[in-house]
Amino acid sequence: MLNQIAIVALKEWIDGWRDRRAVISAALYSLMGPGVVGMVSLAVHIGRDSQAVLIAMMSVFTLVSAFVGGMNVAMDSIAGERERRSLVPLLMHPITRLDLLLGKWLAVAAFSAAGLAFNLAGFALLFHRLPPLALALCLTPLCLLAAALEIWISTLCRGLKEAHTYLSMLVFLPMMVGMFMVFSPVAGHGWWKFVPVAGHQLQLDAGMRGKPLDPLSMLFLGLGTATLAGMALLAAADRLEQDDVVYGG
Amino acid sequence: MIEVRNLKKQFGAVAALRDVSFHAPDGAITGLLGANGAGKSTTLRTICGVLKPDSGQVLVDGISSAGDPLALQRRVGGLLDHAGLYARLTPRETFTFSGRLNGIPSQRLRQRVEETIAILGMQSIADRPTGGFSQGERMKTALGRALIHAPRNLLLDEPTSGLDIPSVRSLRALLQRTRDAGACILFSSHVLEEVQALCDRVVILAGGRVVAEGTPPELCELAGVTSLEDAFVAFTSAEEVAAC
Repeated sequence: MLNQIAIVALKEWIDGWRDRRAVISAALYSLMGPGVVGMVSLAVHIGRDSQAVLIAMMSVFTLVSAFVGGMNVAMDSIAGERERRSLVPLLMHPITRLDLLLGKWLAVAAFSAAGLAFNLAGFALLFHRLPPLALALCLTPLCLLAAALEIWISTLCRGLKEAHTYLSMLVFLPMMVGMFMVFSPVAGHGWWKFVPVAGHQLQLDAGMRGKPLDPLSMLFLGLGTATLAGMALLAAADRLEQDDVVYGG
Repeated sequence: MIEVRNLKKQFGAVAALRDVSFHAPDGAITGLLGANGAGKSTTLRTICGVLKPDSGQVLVDGISSAGDPLALQRRVGGLLDHAGLYARLTPRETFTFSGRLNGIPSQRLRQRVEETIAILGMQSIADRPTGGFSQGERMKTALGRALIHAPRNLLLDEPTSGLDIPSVRSLRALLQRTRDAGACILFSSHVLEEVQALCDRVVILAGGRVVAEGTPPELCELAGVTSLEDAFVAFTSAEEVAAC
């Protein structure tokens, strides 16, 4: 079982890596945040307040990068399989559909994590400050959630164009949540720090400001994010069992 | 050997398979004949485990699809009408991926990939990404993927569609060699000449039911005609009249 998941993940990783246009596009999206924040920092005087604003901006871009990093691979991995009519031959292999999905999910999550790492490296260069290791641990489940949601959406779509439309909309989720957390006066209070994506934004903001991370929040975020990712994967596996996935209706 | 018993499959209001039963023996090419919408593709997809039947049973070499679907899939190779490939992978990588999923050990798989490339005459294109392949090259790659684990049972849905004459001839020769080695081949086609030239037995489907089965001469005799085409028309027309 694990072996088959790894076989699928490796194939998806190689296939995704060879799609150079998609890789370059994801890398550019990941670096867009450091680029934009870098340009803004040139335009304003860097005082304590303005650095806080820059870090807040950064956190939004970082959340988005976790979703954008694996988007193309997710799009290609189910909706693309249906469009190029390779899904039926794949389903003929002796592998359960859940294992198939898990393999694809791991590959998408790896690209998602790569996008996030690229983004954080860009910001580390910009701010001359490495993000704490605990922050990387806190954000890893976010990549798993982003990948699971993307894979699920990909199973709902009949082709790449449709998947691109819906996955582009999904990217608005971290963007909107991030903006809300930055600008809303009610954000940051109480239970927000336990809500996936919103809590990640708060931890990210705290980590990059050099403040200590909240271990309880990290624990709940990890559990909550893993639960949501599991639910999305189960929904995707259920979808893959349906006949119209095979017939493309 | 493939045995299909009382297979039924409904898609919404459409009954794709009403009651399909037949068997395809080892060492023979069994043709699945039928008009568009007769249920050929649904039958093949159900046999290979891609679709689950609403009722009925599929047995491949005695293994039931309901009992151990993965064991059944290990015994089946297929080239259905969906011959999609991964454009950025080479045939060698495609065969290796498929072989690994079929559980072939690494050393044996390397050997098997080379054999498959040689059988299909793909040495010159084995390490080129399939994205730029012609229809014939794509079909060969898809066929190689279906054959990589040397399945004892082979399902083919319109395998010669889009192929040029030399490719059709080499595919026919390959199928005959595979049959002579003892494999069970279930072959669906619209082209009656091809069915007549290749198939040892024929199963005729109409409206999601088996309306006749036997060797081509038996079917002609049963219908009281001299050609398989006339027999096909006679059996499928009778089903259409019954359905009306």
